[in-house]
Amino acid sequence: MSGSGSPPVLLLVDDETRILSALRRTLRREGYEILTAESVAEGLRILGSRKVDLVLTDQKMPGRSGLEFLAEVAVRHPDVARLLITGWPEEIPPDQIEFLGIRALIPKPWDDQQLKSALRENT
Amino acid sequence: MGAAVGEGPPLSQSSPLVRIAIVRPLPGSAQRDLGTASALDRLGREARLEVLHDADSCCDLAAGEILDLVILEEGVGEGDAHRVLGALRGEGPPVIVVTTELDEELALDFFRRGAADCIAATRDYAEVLPVVALEQIRRWRAARERGDAERRIRWLEQLHEAIVNEIPAALVVLDGQGNMVTVNPEFSRTWGVSSDEVHGRPLEDVLPPDFLESEGVGEVLSRAAEGRSVAPRIARVIDGERGMRAFDVRAKRLGEGRILLVLSDLTEVELLAKQVADLQRYNENIIQNMNSALLVVDLEGRITYANPTAEQILDTVPGGLRGRPVWDWFPDVPREEVLISRTLEENTRFRGAETVISRPTGRIVPIGISCAPMSDRDGTRIGAVAIFQDLTEIKQLQRQVLQTEKMASIGQLAAGVAHEINNPMGFIHANLCQMSEYLEDLAKVWDKLEALRKAVQELHPPQLGEGGSALGAAPIVPEEIQRATGELDAAIERVEADFLLSDFGKAVRESLEGSERIRHIVQDLRAFSHQDTAELVESDLNQCLDSTANIVWTMMKHSVSLTKQYDELPPMYCFPMQLKQVFMNLIVNAYQAIEAREGGEGARGEIRLRTELRGDAVAILVTDNGTGIPPDALDRIFDPFFTTKEVGVGTGLGLSTSFNIVRRHGGTIRVESIEGQGTSFEVLLPLDALGPEAGTVR
Repeated sequence: MSGSGSPPVLLLVDDETRILSALRRTLRREGYEILTAESVAEGLRILGSRKVDLVLTDQKMPGRSGLEFLAEVAVRHPDVARLLITGWPEEIPPDQIEFLGIRALIPKPWDDQQLKSALRENT
Repeated sequence: MGAAVGEGPPLSQSSPLVRIAIVRPLPGSAQRDLGTASALDRLGREARLEVLHDADSCCDLAAGEILDLVILEEGVGEGDAHRVLGALRGEGPPVIVVTTELDEELALDFFRRGAADCIAATRDYAEVLPVVALEQIRRWRAARERGDAERRIRWLEQLHEAIVNEIPAALVVLDGQGNMVTVNPEFSRTWGVSSDEVHGRPLEDVLPPDFLESEGVGEVLSRAAEGRSVAPRIARVIDGERGMRAFDVRAKRLGEGRILLVLSDLTEVELLAKQVADLQRYNENIIQNMNSALLVVDLEGRITYANPTAEQILDTVPGGLRGRPVWDWFPDVPREEVLISRTLEENTRFRGAETVISRPTGRIVPIGISCAPMSDRDGTRIGAVAIFQDLTEIKQLQRQVLQTEKMASIGQLAAGVAHEINNPMGFIHANLCQMSEYLEDLAKVWDKLEALRKAVQELHPPQLGEGGSALGAAPIVPEEIQRATGELDAAIERVEADFLLSDFGKAVRESLEGSERIRHIVQDLRAFSHQDTAELVESDLNQCLDSTANIVWTMMKHSVSLTKQYDELPPMYCFPMQLKQVFMNLIVNAYQAIEAREGGEGARGEIRLRTELRGDAVAILVTDNGTGIPPDALDRIFDPFFTTKEVGVGTGLGLSTSFNIVRRHGGTIRVESIEGQGTSFEVLLPLDALGPEAGTVR
């Protein structure tokens, strides 16, 4: 993480800005360059404009859902590691998680240590 | 028989009295008195004489009364004499014509006209007449009696024929060898044989052998043959077309070894009797087996009839209701307000009225009742009939339906609330975690700051204020720094910085704890609104219950005993984790109810777990002898957020969540509780409500 070249780039997508800032606070010391987007569209725009290593997206958002976003990421940017954070993890069909290559399903509210280690494992 | 014959014509006319009519000219006519009447006086007092003067009165008398003899004197005139003779010729009494003189030609004419004799009133008339008269009377009477006997026989023959032909019984006369002599038309009809075919043939040719040899027929015939009297018997025979037929069998020995056998067909009578019995049985069957209770009471309100359902609802042994006053089951209601007494007193009818009865045990049972007055055939009132149903189950179902509706709307609300709370909870929780870390970092910085402050103070002790030192030591610290540390000290003192630092951490920790609690509520709410899609698994409910009980058991004080009684259960499709949550709720509630007993008084705390296979459903019962649930709370225990526990002990969602889970399994959850004695929960789950396909409800 440290040392060689530029830090890994993490994109956070959530319609709730306070979640974004809370996540940013939590991950402040994790050595990521953190980008945030408040919608799927904005997230896709960022992905199209620069290199991103990981995305962590909320599921329930107005407009397109997190799963739809990750499906698009899987097609357009298959190298980007995909993680989903949601208040209703039970609602996510297990076959979709597998199909979309989602690396981790993080419940919301999250446990800081769980979140951090899930991200580290996929960096 | 005697009476019937007696109603026939008079059969005997023999009478000691002799009645004689004398037809003679009116006194004072040309003809002298021939002395007829005085001649007949010799016949004695037994002879009664009627003296007449014309043919008409004679004919009238002969038609109306029985005359033994008519004496016709020639002097009445030729016309009258001829008319009398003509009228009485044949059937009438003998007529003796008396002429004044012997005239053979005249006499011959009278004989030709039917006279029985013709004598002349000559010298010895008074001697001859009585002799001739008696002879004629004797002959006439003899002839008349012969005629009577013939008529009697003819009458008996008619009667016999009518009886034999019209009687609805089969008659057959048998000779000494048991061969048929004659049969009546009913016999021919019944046994399908014509009367001219039977003569001389044995009875076996016509009657089926098993019928003939049956106890009824055989014994009656043999006893009659011996001349013994025998009571009528019933004999049966299978008739191919008409099924079982029954006969009343009688026999009587006649003369010359002959026997009369009488077979009266009872099939129709027996059929009617059977139909009546069948109808009675049919009605009795309905009444005995119907799911409604039926009571009949007399005018005093005493029970005269009760079916088994009534006995069951009123909680008595079979037959235990007869004669008891119906008011016994309404101890808390003034007698005149009991519905049945209003039917008895005011003729009021009720249909589906709701009321309650009190069982002997004191248990109140809600019932729906219909009452109607009862009258006998003449319209006299004899009591009332009541039909009622136990509404306990229906009431419980109604409550469950209501509960289900309430759950559905609250479930939606809860899901929405949970969702809305979840996001802010997410960042509050995360931020609190961060704040806690920040604080640790800040505390480290603060330690360094303190160290710095102390170092400065040592260089520049506070007591060496302005004005310098007597020792003349020059100040090492510049004045700006001295001022700044002074202000810092004052500020630290003012805000009580040490306290702030320690209490900041405490506040954050407590807030974190609070947010944990909110997280749990949100999780409960989520489970409550079943926003999860667990997998359907074929599982053993005994095992689910047992493993849950074992986990909870480890948390319980072992002063509470746990008894288990499991029926053998087939595996069923269910959401085992959810059902375990239900069992956990029930067992924990039971434990808490026992713990809540004041000072642990009374019997040792006991939780009983029982499973039962009930047809195509499984019942799981959790019973405790804890505090019980107050009646006013009983209706609300399944309501979300309703709790009787202290704040913080329960979220008030345990039972409502359980209710929802059980409902999702197509089952029901019921509670019975007596305050101070204990509570019993019953979960009833149908075995096949959920299919093997994941997540589908059949």
